[in-house]
Formats: sequence, C-alpha cells, structure tokens
Amino acid sequence: MTPYTKTEVLLQAKDLQLSYGNKCILHDINFSIRDIIRPGLQQGQVVSLVGRSGMGKTQLFRILSGLQKPTSGSIIIRERKPAEVSPGSIAVFQERAVRPGDMGVIFQNYYQFGWRTVRQSLLLAARRNKLLEGKEEDTMLQYAEQFDVIDILHRYPSQLSGGQQQRVSIIQQLLKGANFLLLDEPFSGLDVCVLDKVVELLQQVSLSDELKTLIIVSHDIATAVAISDTVFILGRTKGVEGSTLVRSIDLIERGLAWQKDVRREREFEETLEEIKACL
Amino acid sequence: MFKPFEKISKQNFLIMVGLQVFFILLVWQLSPIGLIPQPTHVLSALGQLLGTRLLIDNLLVSLLLTLQAMLYSILITLVFSYLSVIPFFHSVAQFIVKCRYLTLTGLIFIFTLLTKDGSQLKLSLLIFGIVPFFTTSFLAVILRIPAQEYELCQTLGYSRWESLYEVIVIGKADQVFEMVRQNFAIAWMMITMVEGLNMSEGGIGALLIKYNKYNDLPHVIALQAIIFGIGLFFDYLLGLLRHWLFPYTMAHKK
Ligand SMILES: Nc1ncnc2c1ncn2[C@@H]1O[C@H](COP(=O)(O)OP(=O)(O)OP(=O)(O)O)[C@@H](O)[C@H]1O
Ligand SMILES: [Mg+2]
Repeated sequence: MTPYTKTEVLLQAKDLQLSYGNKCILHDINFSIRDIIRPGLQQGQVVSLVGRSGMGKTQLFRILSGLQKPTSGSIIIRERKPAEVSPGSIAVFQERAVRPGDMGVIFQNYYQFGWRTVRQSLLLAARRNKLLEGKEEDTMLQYAEQFDVIDILHRYPSQLSGGQQQRVSIIQQLLKGANFLLLDEPFSGLDVCVLDKVVELLQQVSLSDELKTLIIVSHDIATAVAISDTVFILGRTKGVEGSTLVRSIDLIERGLAWQKDVRREREFEETLEEIKACL
Repeated sequence: MFKPFEKISKQNFLIMVGLQVFFILLVWQLSPIGLIPQPTHVLSALGQLLGTRLLIDNLLVSLLLTLQAMLYSILITLVFSYLSVIPFFHSVAQFIVKCRYLTLTGLIFIFTLLTKDGSQLKLSLLIFGIVPFFTTSFLAVILRIPAQEYELCQTLGYSRWESLYEVIVIGKADQVFEMVRQNFAIAWMMITMVEGLNMSEGGIGALLIKYNKYNDLPHVIALQAIIFGIGLFFDYLLGLLRHWLFPYTMAHKK
C-alpha cells in the first residue's frame, strides 16, 4: 500500500443541526476532513456523502456551501491567510466559519446565467480569482481545451447538453479558485461513457492541488466509492427524527482508494454491501 | 388544425389567418347592420385620410408624445424597480403599483395646477398613467427570479450590489422590452384620452374626437384601423429589437 499521512483538518463540521419549524431534518452531524499527504504526489481529498432519497443530502450540501444557515452548529474551514493580513508571520493558515463564495459549488442542475455565453460565464469566474490576474483568458482557454468545451464557448446555456453544462459548471468553479469543490449528484443522468469521463475528470481535479478537496453528494454509491478516499453515510437512528451520519468509512485503510481498477476487487464489493446495509 | 398543441408551419398559419380575416370582412360586408359602415366605406375613408397631410401631422404629434412619455416612464420604472429589492424602497415601488387604481380623470385638475402648459400637462399625465403599469410588469419579473440565480452569484463571491447588477440589471435587460411591449397598448390607449384634454396641439386622439363629434363613422373606424396597425407594428418592432439586442432570447437547443 502507498504510504500516506493525514495532517491538518481542512474542514470541520461541528454539531450541525437543521430544522424547519418543528421538523428536524439533520441532527448531531460532526465530521472533519483532513489533508492527505502522499510523498511525491499532489494528492487532494475526495469525500462522498451518500444516503437514501430524502435523507437530507442536499440540505447538508447547502449548509456546507454556506448558502444555508444551519439551525445550530457550524462549518469551520482552514484557509491560507491573505498575505497583507500577516506579513512575515509564520502561521500562513487561519480558521474561520464558511461563507458563501468559499466553496466551489456545482448544483444538481448545473445552473448558469442564461444571458451569458459560456465564455462570458467562465471569464466572470476567472476575474474573481486574484491568482489569475492578467492571465484569466489564457487559463480559461486552457481549461476549456482540457475539458472539451472549446467549441461551445460562444453558446448560451440553453444550447448545451447536460454533460456540457456540467463541465462548464465545473470549469467555472475551478476558475474561481476555491480549494473545496462541492458537487450535488454529479453522476445522475449521464450515460456510461460520459460517466467514465466525469470520473476521470474529477480524479484529475483532485490531483491538481494538494489542498483540493472534493465533496460529492450522490446516491450512486458504486461510482462515489470508486473515486473517494472517505465515505460518510447519512441515515436514521431508531426513534430519532431527522438524519445524522451513521457511519464513516476510511477507504484508504481498506486499500480501496486511488486505484484504477478498484471495482474488480472483492473488498470493494463487500464495502458496497456494507454501505447498502446502513442505508 | 383543430387538435390541441398541434404544431403548424408558419406559412400555413399565415394562410389560415388570411382566410379568417377575409371571412370576417366578408361577413361584415354582407351583414345588414345599417348604422355600421361597411368595409368598402371604411376603405375609402382610409384612402382619403392617407392622401392628406392631416393624418401624418397628427400622427407624428401623437407618436412623438408617446415615445417621449415611454422613455421617461421606462427610466422612472427601472430606477424604482431596481431599488425595490432594497426594503426601504420596496414600499415605494408597491405604492406605485397600487396607483393603477387611481383614475387619471380625477387628477387632471391637480396636474393642470402643477404644470406650465398643455404639452407638459399631457406628458406628465401620460407618464403618471404609464409608470404604474410598467412597474407592475417589471416587479413581477423580479419576483419570478429563481433563488438559484442569486445563489450562483453567491457562490461566485458576488456582493449583494454585484448580484443586483448581474441578475436584475444585466440579466433582465431583455425583459424591459417585453414590459414595454406588453404595455404599449395601454400607453397608446391613454394618448387618445390625454389628447382629448388639450386639443390645440392636435394628435390622433384629437382627430378621433373630432370625427366622433360629427358622427363620421367611416373615418373613426379608419382611424381605429390605423391606430391598430401602428400598435401591431410597434409590437413587432419591439420583439425584433429584443431578439436582435439579446440573442439568447432566441437561443434554442440545436
Ligand atoms: N424548505 C423545506 N422545508 C421543509 N422541509 C424541507 C425543505 N427542504 C427540504 N425539506 C425536507 O428535508 C428532507 C431532506 O431533503 P433533501 O432534499 O436534502 O433530500 P436528499 O437526501 O437530497 O434527497 P434526494 O436524494 O431525493 O435528492 C426531506 O424530507 C424534505 O422533505
Ligand atoms: Mg438531493
């Protein structure tokens, strides 16, 4: 097995709770995502959040993205301090509560502004990224080439296929430069070939930066597990209203992470069965 | 042709409309209602109107006034609609919307006191009449904006002002044309009324009232036809302009 270490906490969910009126949707959600370091590699993190329909995956997704305030609890992220705040300081990182805009968010329906061409939408995001100053256009074109949307840059969202819309959304959020990338059901509605491409693409993204962290919300357990290093399962505990994390599985320990042909292994099958039993 | 949701080609549609219009004109010509002039009479009145400068002059007066009033109305509407997402101005915008229920006739006296001359009176009355309708339309557009548009802004790290600019000012610019288009009819209707108040400058409304006074029905109907035609023309023009300026309103899956 490849050597690795888990170091600092990149994201921490503390005692998350969400209710609508008297109805409890989520309760007592605690987890953390740590930076994984593998010698010689820029290994990002890929975390899957699985659960049955109606278990509150999308709600948790919205809380993680900062778009929805939890009833109580908080999401703390670690971020690189802006250089001007602490010149010469040793501590380069600071912790703070998540805000909308911190995360790259890819919604389930890949919504884009209907009045902007793909090119404009991508440039809007690139201009938000201070690190890209002066080379927004070039970086955008680079991504467009890599993700195969170069031919559709002049089109409007309503003229794109579902797969194209998804890629545009992903590029847009990558250009924005957030370390975290949240994806709601990225595998739904894709045919097998496109699915493989998306999986490959996400893997590529996860290897592009040490701190890149993908959080994938999905009910396609097999695909999610195949590309993740950690799986969190949302489910019910008996006699309690609302959902919580009933299980978390470290796929690295089981030797199931970062493998191309993981689906052929017996342990992969067993893990899937185990997850299904928890749902 | 009689099946719900059935799609027919543009050409067939035009032929169908042509036949329908022809049929109605035929029924009208042959029906024995004595007081209402027949299409041939209207046509000759129309021909006569088109032959004189009278029509063109009055038409220009009316059109100029309408366009002027529309321009001001659009500006006023946009300012208040954009601001309506700010709570402080929301109430103001709501009040403007409710002003639809004020009738212009009751306000003429006040406006006469407030304005200098007849043309100012007409203009301000028109603007006052149009703005509530424009605002109603545009506020509905703003209310229909799905939360997702704002959420995408948030994920891109936009401030609230930037979101307002992107989603409402830029994103709904094409709807301004739709708003004008939908309410052009109302403006057009008001102009005939307002021009009746101050006949000295003429205008198509003044002309209409004059013909009505002399019971010259063929001319009244001919004028109506012209007003109708101009309305249709502007409707078409605004639609065309919208598609031309905002190509995404035409974008369909290819
Ligand atoms: N605005 C709301 N008010 C009240 N209850 C809500 C609201 N939004 C969602 N819920 C409830 O929260 C629960 C979780 O919904 P959520 O959309 O997160 O499910 P999900 O796990 O994403 O399901 P799916 O896999 O079908 O997308 C559901 O029972 C839903 O009825
Ligand atoms: Mg969902």
